[in-house]
Amino acid sequence: MNRTSIIALLIFGAILGYFLTFGPESTRRFKAGVYRVIAPFLTSGSGLQRQITSVRTGLKSLEQLERENASLQVENRELRATNKGLRDVEHEVNRLRHALNYRERSVFKLMAAEIVTRDSSTWWHTVTINRGKEDGIETDMAVVTDEGLVGKTTTVSEKISVVLLISDENCKVAASVEGTREQGIVSGERVTGGLNPLLDLNFLSKQADLKPGQKAYTSGVGGVFPSGLLIGAVKNFRVRELDGQAQLTPAVDLSHLEDVFVVTGRK
Amino acid sequence: MIFFFCLLVIVLAAQIVELFIPTLPWLYNSHIYIVPVIVFYGAMALPFPLMLALALYAGILLDALTVQVIGGKVEISMGWSILLYAVLAGIMHGLRPLFIRGRWEVHCILSGIGTSLIILAQYLMITFRRGSLVFSREVWWQIGGPGLIAMAMAPIIFWLLQWMGRMTAYPYLNERTRFE
Repeated sequence: MNRTSIIALLIFGAILGYFLTFGPESTRRFKAGVYRVIAPFLTSGSGLQRQITSVRTGLKSLEQLERENASLQVENRELRATNKGLRDVEHEVNRLRHALNYRERSVFKLMAAEIVTRDSSTWWHTVTINRGKEDGIETDMAVVTDEGLVGKTTTVSEKISVVLLISDENCKVAASVEGTREQGIVSGERVTGGLNPLLDLNFLSKQADLKPGQKAYTSGVGGVFPSGLLIGAVKNFRVRELDGQAQLTPAVDLSHLEDVFVVTGRK
Repeated sequence: MIFFFCLLVIVLAAQIVELFIPTLPWLYNSHIYIVPVIVFYGAMALPFPLMLALALYAGILLDALTVQVIGGKVEISMGWSILLYAVLAGIMHGLRPLFIRGRWEVHCILSGIGTSLIILAQYLMITFRRGSLVFSREVWWQIGGPGLIAMAMAPIIFWLLQWMGRMTAYPYLNERTRFE
């Protein structure tokens, strides 16, 4: 080994040593810095990906188009028939919506965001969104869709934030089950083979006897996730040695996320 | 030197592209990793100090973009990927004479093995933190799948980088004569 290589090795060792001393906060700052640098590439890449996907899905064979046309004509006739009936229902819905005044009832301030990239690595279930500090996003804010809970923010840079999905083993959410007094902790599984991962609801009582379809909501314990957000529905329940465990189907289809809302506070 | 800077740009671009590549549902959601193959090529084509610089750069990028800080804890601290890349790239660098003679087979296979080893090392580290060592079929496929894909991609990536080396007048052929 010549002198240049030895000097290079020493410099390499020194830089490596410097990085190994990073604590959580310095790591987060460093990650945010890197995301700040690559944010323009990520956002433009996301736009490009959407364009490619839309072109790819738009390309169909003549046979496919003929089939689609025939089925659309049938569908059109059916829709015309149901449309008449729906006009009456629409009037009623408008009346009820007005009465409920849904928007006014909402207690959260929501910031809309688009998914930029998803699942950057094998062992962490994350997505990045196009909102950051500039939009008032901070670490550990709940992320939701109109269907339910998605996850929480972890690393936040100026324009990009990383969201840890509820399907990740590290995203732990205090939950309660509807119609019962059962409370537990929801977390994802370390490794999932399919596109639609299941969640584990742990630390239930052995007598819980939850039924498939029962819904689990955030209980608000812990402070990160506000209470009342739908997490998922019970798929099955089993009694373990010390506690009961239920598997949940997430309320949100995490593999097809496109738009989400970050809960920035209460109104 | 131009070739080295080109490799740095390509590693950054590949790291960003990786973020947009969807997982493969038919291979237990395996990811496609391009960067390790590029780094391993660099390990064979570059001299030792530049090989270390490339490993450092790729390791920093990998740590910065994948490792998560959750609830004030870091499961894999910054720097581990640098070390992993440096060790694996060092092994590849040791096989440089073979590569320069035009024998790429071993390196293509090693690129796949190296890619899987990086993912395996990450898995072992997070398992050490989280507890309960699980090695299901899904885990093995998520570790081995990217390696197999990297092995299949390696000849094409190596050929493209080789072509780029010639375009940038990288003094590769001189070394070939020296080894022969």
